Amino acid sequence: MQPYQEEYIANLRQIAALTQRGTPGQASFEAYCAQLHETGALVEQIAKRSMELLRGHLFPVLDELFQADAATVGELEEFSSQLYNGQAELDVGLFCQIRQALLTLARQKKDRAAMIRHLYWLGMGRNSLCGKLVGIPFENIAKYMTRMRLCFTEAAAYLKYYDQIEDTDTRGYILRSRANISLGQFNSPGEKIRLVKGTLQILQDKEYQEKAPGLPWDRFIFLTHQNMASSISYSREKVMSPQDMADIMESAYIVYQRRFEEAEMQGRQPPTKSAFAYFAIEYYCGLYSLDTLLSKVESLMNAADPADYSTDGMYAMISLPAFYSQYLQQYPDQLPRRKEYVEGLYRRTLDYVEAFPNPFSSSSLFLYLRQLSHTYVGTDSQTPYSTFLQRILLRFAPETYVHSQMVGAGAKALCALIMDEEPTFFDDIESICALSDPEEKRQAVLDYAMGCGAFHDVGKINMIELYSQTARQWFDEEYEMARLHTIAGGQLLLPRSSTTRYTPAALGHHTWYDGSHSNSSDYKRLECPERQMVDVIALVDWLAAMTHQGAAYTGREMAFDEAVQAAIELEGKRFSPLLTAWLRDRRAADRIRLAFDQGRMDACRQMYDDAYTSSPEGS
Amino acid sequence: MSLVNDVLDMSRIDSGRMTLSEEPFSLADLVHDVAVIVRPQATQKNQSLHIGIGEILEENLVGDSLRLRQILVNIIGNAVKYTQAGGHIQVTFSQCAQPDQQNRPAVRLVFSCQDDGIGMSQEFLQRIFLPFERVSSAAVNKIEGTGLGMSIVKKLVDSMGGVITVESEEGKGSLFRIELPLLIGQGRKAPALPAGSKVLVAEGRPDLAGQIAACLLSAGLTPVRLETGLAAVTRLTEAQYEGRMPCALLLGQELADMPALDMAAHVRQLAGPDFPILLVSDEDWAQIEYRAVRAGVSAFVPCPLFPSRLLETLSSLTSGAAAGAEAGGSRDDDYSGSRVLLVEDNELNQEIAMELLGMTGVQVDAAGDGAQALELFQHSPEGWYDLIFMDIQMPVMDGFEAARRIRALPRQDARDVWIVAMTANAFVEDIRQSRDAGMNEHLSKPVDVDRLLDILRRQLKPGAANR
Repeated sequence: MQPYQEEYIANLRQIAALTQRGTPGQASFEAYCAQLHETGALVEQIAKRSMELLRGHLFPVLDELFQADAATVGELEEFSSQLYNGQAELDVGLFCQIRQALLTLARQKKDRAAMIRHLYWLGMGRNSLCGKLVGIPFENIAKYMTRMRLCFTEAAAYLKYYDQIEDTDTRGYILRSRANISLGQFNSPGEKIRLVKGTLQILQDKEYQEKAPGLPWDRFIFLTHQNMASSISYSREKVMSPQDMADIMESAYIVYQRRFEEAEMQGRQPPTKSAFAYFAIEYYCGLYSLDTLLSKVESLMNAADPADYSTDGMYAMISLPAFYSQYLQQYPDQLPRRKEYVEGLYRRTLDYVEAFPNPFSSSSLFLYLRQLSHTYVGTDSQTPYSTFLQRILLRFAPETYVHSQMVGAGAKALCALIMDEEPTFFDDIESICALSDPEEKRQAVLDYAMGCGAFHDVGKINMIELYSQTARQWFDEEYEMARLHTIAGGQLLLPRSSTTRYTPAALGHHTWYDGSHSNSSDYKRLECPERQMVDVIALVDWLAAMTHQGAAYTGREMAFDEAVQAAIELEGKRFSPLLTAWLRDRRAADRIRLAFDQGRMDACRQMYDDAYTSSPEGS
Repeated sequence: MSLVNDVLDMSRIDSGRMTLSEEPFSLADLVHDVAVIVRPQATQKNQSLHIGIGEILEENLVGDSLRLRQILVNIIGNAVKYTQAGGHIQVTFSQCAQPDQQNRPAVRLVFSCQDDGIGMSQEFLQRIFLPFERVSSAAVNKIEGTGLGMSIVKKLVDSMGGVITVESEEGKGSLFRIELPLLIGQGRKAPALPAGSKVLVAEGRPDLAGQIAACLLSAGLTPVRLETGLAAVTRLTEAQYEGRMPCALLLGQELADMPALDMAAHVRQLAGPDFPILLVSDEDWAQIEYRAVRAGVSAFVPCPLFPSRLLETLSSLTSGAAAGAEAGGSRDDDYSGSRVLLVEDNELNQEIAMELLGMTGVQVDAAGDGAQALELFQHSPEGWYDLIFMDIQMPVMDGFEAARRIRALPRQDARDVWIVAMTANAFVEDIRQSRDAGMNEHLSKPVDVDRLLDILRRQLKPGAANR
């Protein structure tokens, strides 16, 4: 690799290490804040350097890729495989950019082997991006699944010429692409099952095997069965045909049998994932009741080791509770007698997640967390869903947590001014309008403003790596994907009683006052009774982002006064004129600015207290 | 205003001052014009409006197409007005042979429009064609109308020698049926098509796929029908490998597994810039053109599907005979009347781009850096350049500065000329910087041929006669 490539990789690793929230040890709060500030500045400096590396070295190479020599192209490929290797991901966005460029080059040179290889890897990169969209309605993410699937489909189409392609590696890429067409989400599980079945038939065909004996056929077949067995996780009884169930049953059995034998030989328990798939398909086939299935899942979760941070350990501690919760969501009559168990389960899972060492080294952790975030069952326990979300943000996306607290504080300050002048301003909100006592009403508005601020960006939990680990500005496609955090937020907040009232703020905070720029069909400004509060959050969120975090992703940062002026210029288009009118009042603007400072300080205090109590020195 | 127009029309008809013209017209054009007018109204009410065609003997007819359009819009417009939100409207056109009294070749055009709207009482049906008569009910009183539309329609149909009938039942809906004798116009030359060639048809709806296949078969082409995007991409990859690409891909509006335009974007990459991709859809082209062209769609064929329209568009793309192609939809890569300024410091990149652009006939001036580009632009006559491709990283003067300076020149075309930034720097900030410097769009490097041609298609007028 070129020195700039090595330096870029080193920078990514350094940022991953720096953005992990350290424990304060014996440090005072002031020292902790100073350290946070220092770390932030260092991350920014490294990101800046990484940008220089890309601008100064990588982009000129891509600019002239058609005339690049073989060594340069080889180095690029090696660099990309350091960014993402199918499992560990350092920078999937950049990986996809490079692979796309290499694919264009291969097409231009009509280099078939390179085309197939790059199609496979581009598909893998896109699959990784698709993994961040768990929980978002299929219609919003179908195009990402399609882009990924078409890469694999094109590469897999060369299967017909398997005999003519003598290179074993290329044959391997073709077969793996064929298998990977079934990755990701589908309109119906039936589509996925049919594709996996087709792959199994190909992989088990002796003719193919005999022509490439060097390929790991056994592994290919086993992984395909595993993919089939995992279909059960996404399926629902009503859309599974008896044949679908039989196919999954067979694969689940094969996987479980293999894992069971391996575990027996090594004197340990079979992996939780295959055991769950096995139990689940038996339940779907009617071998026992849902109650029995849930009891079996409980026993698997109870047996999980809270100190096991391997992939199977994570599965048992986070993903399995997610599937368990999904059943409870689907069959709420099962919940009352399991309430106590569920409360204990979530406490245990949160403790596990918070103690996770080196979290950004594992993409599975965030995939499983996304699953749990979307299936969490709201109870009136000590860990309501709102607390769960806050703790996840605090642990893995501290900068989003700080930003959200700042927006909450800023919104509260603006609402206080509005309520002094016009106490009925928020009366379209039924619960506010119903309050007759002026002081009670005022307090309710301020509390609601704070809550909306705290939860407006909660959808970023879906894209934690994108927000916390990207050591550079975003590419266009990442920016487009990041915009889905509004929909993801709505999906998280709406179904649970402790958070449902904050849904409009999550869905609508990037929608312009004139109704444009909305990417959620569920937020229609004029029909939303909470629109005045959403307008407040939209304005304050923009001011906070422009003045405190814009540079990290979009390269734009403004001084507070400059941002206020820019917001005023956007009145009537992006922002409500009723609100920008307040910004013309110097004192009002100052109050928002001071609220930002206070919000930031409070968030840091919360982080300090939280980290202190969870560190060995503090407990 | 509508009332005044209607009253004037009535007065002209009653006084015998209305003369009907006898001009040649295309039935396909007429039907599509009507569809463009009425579809948005139905969409707004979330109604399903299906416009279908039965047996069509002749598309080129002679008659007063403006008045015909008035009749059709009025009937379908009424169906939309008097059908509740979410209702259904079925419109059908067909023909049967019927020579006119002087034995000239003619057809009888049969138009029907059936809805499941509020319907009319038998008592009202007796008066429906009388002036100022409207259904009277609470549901109707809020609907705008002069009450003259139907009587004008009746008089126009009568003047054309046709017959209008109506069946209706209150609460169940109405069926209007019009039969009109129309002379047959001069037939157009059959479009040149590569007989026997395969055409890939990707459409999940069996009815539309069947219609497309029938059109292709009638022209001696061989349709290969596929229902999913995955199957189509597989088939095209195989065909490319074997060097037997179909002559085009006809993409319908519904695939079983993915949005049609997402698939088009991938096929464009796979099959290269010259492969014809036609979108056959009943969507309004104006609404989807930007997305479709960006996805690599070469041409648009509207539904309901008239064979002539499909085959002429296909012919223009497969034989290079692009003259007269439909505005707004078809691709024509001859830009010989246009001039492009290519600003690129790298000689090889410049050479490749010149070659690609040269293939389209566009005249290209090249500049090696921003300063040269500025000078060339400054010394060119007003409106000389139609498009500028601007590299960013260049010695002497970079692309941002050059674009800024061009925009600042005191001449109209400096403000209007379309400038495309060409760079591998693809961060959102880079895109914004290009925009801030006055550039209109961003083309990533290495340059994708298809994207380059898409820009030409959007920004340049085809053919030599545009200067």
